[in-house]
Amino acid sequence: MPGEGHTAQPCDLTDDAALQQMVLSLDSLDGVVFCAGVITYLPAQFTTQAKIADIFNVNFNSQIILVQQLMKKKKLNKKASLFFISSLSSQLGIPATLLYASSKAALNAAVKVLAAELAPQKIRVNAVCPGIVRTPLIDAAKDVMEEDKFNEAEKEYPLGYGAPEDVANTAIFYLSDASRWATGNIMILDGGYTLK
Amino acid sequence: MEITTFVASFADLFDETPKSEIGEGTDFKQIEEWSSLLGLATIAMVDENYGVRISGDEIRESGTITDLFNLVKKKAAEK
Repeated sequence: MPGEGHTAQPCDLTDDAALQQMVLSLDSLDGVVFCAGVITYLPAQFTTQAKIADIFNVNFNSQIILVQQLMKKKKLNKKASLFFISSLSSQLGIPATLLYASSKAALNAAVKVLAAELAPQKIRVNAVCPGIVRTPLIDAAKDVMEEDKFNEAEKEYPLGYGAPEDVANTAIFYLSDASRWATGNIMILDGGYTLK
Repeated sequence: MEITTFVASFADLFDETPKSEIGEGTDFKQIEEWSSLLGLATIAMVDENYGVRISGDEIRESGTITDLFNLVKKKAAEK
């Protein structure tokens, strides 16, 4: 990352002890973006307990424990903003996304509850549900979807697939005071995909 | 690794197509019931039964079920 004034603290968020240690080492925070996520494309009949755990441990459990630790260790300043990267798939019925979509839908529910619990401290909690964004995670989709079909599917997006900056810009808005009256929002960001 | 077991597991992914219509030499993408979801089911079945990952492009490049079997066998041997 270019520029100054930042530090990097790599941490395996699925490792409870490591997560607790990392939170302890932090200064108090004005904003947090929760963006840990993994994906698998799996038809429902191949679901196993292990595969549920693989997805939920990263996409849901680790994020919730991180919030819990930040709260318990008093690391969130008053008027802080928490922002979760969810997924448009949490609102749709895309075949083979049972575990991924469910884990993100669980996050959406958590955002609402956390927004209500943290409102007395003026801490805001919001999420964005992006459609398809060209990121390295998309390589997982290319692995199971033929590349020409992947490119063809972009026609379903009136504004085309998104770029990482498009999601980052929503994070800037929700972390800033420009969104000071917004909490519990689940924002759709999909280049018009769900207009039809 | 037996091809008869592989063909049986592959045929089991289909709900409508009679098992008698699915054999070693079948050009599986020409089966009417074939779909992208069955492609994902094939990837999941191979992962579950043989512990190897095949890709959508590799499925596209395979013609018959034997081609698919040989691909899985080669990948399993390289593990």
